[in-house]
Amino acid sequence: MNAIRVGWLYLKMGVLNELQYRVNFFVQVLQSLIQVGTGLVMLSLVYSHTTELNGWSESELLTLIGVQILLGGLIHAFIQPNMERLLEDVQQGTLDYALTKPEDSQVLVSVRQVRIWQIVEMISGLILLIFGLTRVGSSIGALDAVAFACSLTIGAFLIYCFWLIVTTGAFWLVRMEHVLELFEGVYQTGRWPIGVYPGWLKYSVTFLVPVAFAVTVPAEALTSRLHLGTFLLAVGFGIVLFAFTRWFWRYGLRHYSGASA
Amino acid sequence: MITTDAAPFPQAGRVRSFVDFYLTTMRTAVATQFQYRAANYFYMLGMVAEPVIYLVVWTTIAKSSGGSVNGITADEFAAYYIVWTLVRNMNVVFGAPFWEWRIREGQFSGQLLRPLHPIHYDIAYFAGWKVVVVTLWIPLAIGLSLVFHPALHPTALEVCVFIVAIWGAYLLRTAIQETIGMLNFWTTRGAAVFDLYMATELLLSGRLVPLQLMPGWVQTLANFLPFKWTFWFPIESLVGDMSTQSLLLGLGVQVLWIVGMFTVFRFAFRYAIRHYSAVGG
Amino acid sequence: MVDPVVHVAGLTKVFRVPEREAGLAAAARSLVRRRWREVRAVDEISFEIAAGEVVGFLGPNGAGKTTTLKMLSGLLYPTGGEARVLGHRPSRRERDYLRRMTLVMGNRNQLQWDLPALDSFELNRAIYRVPREQFRATRDELVELLEVGDLVRKPVRNLSLGERMKVEIVGALLHQPQVLFLDEPTIGLDVTMQKRIRQFVAEYNRRHGATVLLTSHYMADVVALCKRVIVIHHGRILFDGALAALADEFAAYKTIGVVVENGAAPLDAYGEVLHREDERVILRVPKNETARVAARLLAEQEVLDLTIEEPPIEDVIELVFAQQ
Repeated sequence: MNAIRVGWLYLKMGVLNELQYRVNFFVQVLQSLIQVGTGLVMLSLVYSHTTELNGWSESELLTLIGVQILLGGLIHAFIQPNMERLLEDVQQGTLDYALTKPEDSQVLVSVRQVRIWQIVEMISGLILLIFGLTRVGSSIGALDAVAFACSLTIGAFLIYCFWLIVTTGAFWLVRMEHVLELFEGVYQTGRWPIGVYPGWLKYSVTFLVPVAFAVTVPAEALTSRLHLGTFLLAVGFGIVLFAFTRWFWRYGLRHYSGASA
Repeated sequence: MITTDAAPFPQAGRVRSFVDFYLTTMRTAVATQFQYRAANYFYMLGMVAEPVIYLVVWTTIAKSSGGSVNGITADEFAAYYIVWTLVRNMNVVFGAPFWEWRIREGQFSGQLLRPLHPIHYDIAYFAGWKVVVVTLWIPLAIGLSLVFHPALHPTALEVCVFIVAIWGAYLLRTAIQETIGMLNFWTTRGAAVFDLYMATELLLSGRLVPLQLMPGWVQTLANFLPFKWTFWFPIESLVGDMSTQSLLLGLGVQVLWIVGMFTVFRFAFRYAIRHYSAVGG
Repeated sequence: MVDPVVHVAGLTKVFRVPEREAGLAAAARSLVRRRWREVRAVDEISFEIAAGEVVGFLGPNGAGKTTTLKMLSGLLYPTGGEARVLGHRPSRRERDYLRRMTLVMGNRNQLQWDLPALDSFELNRAIYRVPREQFRATRDELVELLEVGDLVRKPVRNLSLGERMKVEIVGALLHQPQVLFLDEPTIGLDVTMQKRIRQFVAEYNRRHGATVLLTSHYMADVVALCKRVIVIHHGRILFDGALAALADEFAAYKTIGVVVENGAAPLDAYGEVLHREDERVILRVPKNETARVAARLLAEQEVLDLTIEEPPIEDVIELVFAQQ
């Protein structure tokens, strides 16, 4: 598919670009170390006062944190840069450059930017995740691993859709950056099992800002507590959300180019 | 006609002008930030996510541990973290990383041309900003209280100490971050130092958890660092049950830290300016 | 004898600049071992300015004009030599000195962006400790002189570039400084606005006797305002004196514009032909031969029109720089 080829080309360009900024690598390593460190401190602090949190043991929660950091790295590397650039383009009126290229505009605005050094963050999350798994003890079946990979992908996808929907809103409400600034704060809810949150908050971080789905479902898969129902819900939600995202994007574009009032 | 020998024209009194400057700058900050109230509100909403998460986690632990953790009940956690949001708003200062931008944009030169130390502008401006921020915070606090039922019964003395302590926390954190900001004059690695500072502050200031929940050696360490007086002390003065003696002692130590950090800042600033004036920034 | 307001002797500024080459390999090498180059931005310059003078600092980009101004306003430490303004050493940045001077940089904003200029003026009043009565009088005078009465109530971000410059100038003069350093004050402005600001500076100097040091690479600024000009290039002073004398020193020639009956006739014998335009020929002749060449032309050719002009100052300046 051409979209994949275009995506790959942009990725290569982005990597070459970023490789020049070697200092960013060290900065990223430090930041990831700090992030992992503070996460571990919080984890051990919590478990010095209890043995389980909402049914999750310390090692299981470690795995959850690992997934959250891994996904966070993915967002910071591939999703966030594109959405920030898109927002900028809409605000400055430079979106036309992307729209006049002979390629699907949604694909284009979604893949052209990358912050390659954030991969360090992804790796640190992966390490944490694996470490947690080794301590959990129970082995992972092939089914669990597949469920993990699928739900992680769906999770990333859900977050991508969320970002794109909000950024598309910028076609009408130009000052969208404030809403996006909230994301980092809300994303931290993914660090903990969704069951700890009171009802209204639980639903918000599941459907409104699909952080819980994105992080919890893959973590549940890894710790063998994923229900089929939840998994199917995630898949269904992903499909519906993507359809809506695509429609909304096209609607927004028409509005932007003056085709509809 | 003016000759070079003439003294400058008569000036307004020194103290009076100083107060005048602070009030005028604060007024400027209020007028400007009120225009940006939507942006301010969203920033605050994002900031609130952090303590709400901590609160929810500790409440869960408290509930599964028989109602309290180390003697702190769920309602007391709620009180701690809701007061946290006010203290946090009060201790927002001109962030160290922004010095790099400030130097690059050339605004710093303008500050250097004035017959007034640049830090006064930062202190005065952010102090004025607090007026807008606290006004916006009140409905948010009411909302949080309705949801989380904080246990809050402060005495009159505690309220007074609290009001002094939050401004003390503001000044202390200003001194700390302005000092770290000075690093940006020598190196581009200032961001790394800042990240380390933020991590240390998170763990040792009471920002993450009430310090009583930290292991003993951490609590001892926190006593020898200034961070405790930017979060834990102001919050605890209102929320906790501190004796009159410890309240006043706490204020005293806070003042000492403020004086100490500003002294460090003065030296850091002098060196920074020397470097700036040598290479032109 | 009255002391000069500005006294500069052997002033030097040397920058150490990291050497950078293009390419990944060079970038990698530079992480390990840095190489430095010395740039003499200002090289042993000396001059004096008396009270009330308006002096133009002329030079191409990178000549050292802004660096000199920054040293005189205390923003940069000199590497060598000495500078004194109003008896103070600028690098000490004494409060009393900062209150008596002002630096206005073209294209730079000191005023609050989101608020009307009037609010920023109040801030400056407090910073410079200007008594209220004095402040009001000065402010009103400046607002009137620059015709910004209705602009000072609008948020600064809503003003055009030229309007912004005008209110910036008002803000910079509220404390009635005795020395004005103007760094490219008309840069980026349209012609009308440039004229307006020049007129203002001249009027201000006339009314208050303030000493003005103005840098620009617009000739028109200097010609309009400065009787005295200092030409600087590569950090060195090439010329310091009356503007009129500049031509004498560097371009001792005049141009003769002549229209002859026989348009195609070669006039090389009379002088250097600069260019032909329809029937008009522009000749360049040495100053002391002007009268003779003109007389010969009138005698030997069918002259329909003849004009004798001073070389345009821009050409003179170009020659000055070209000679270095």
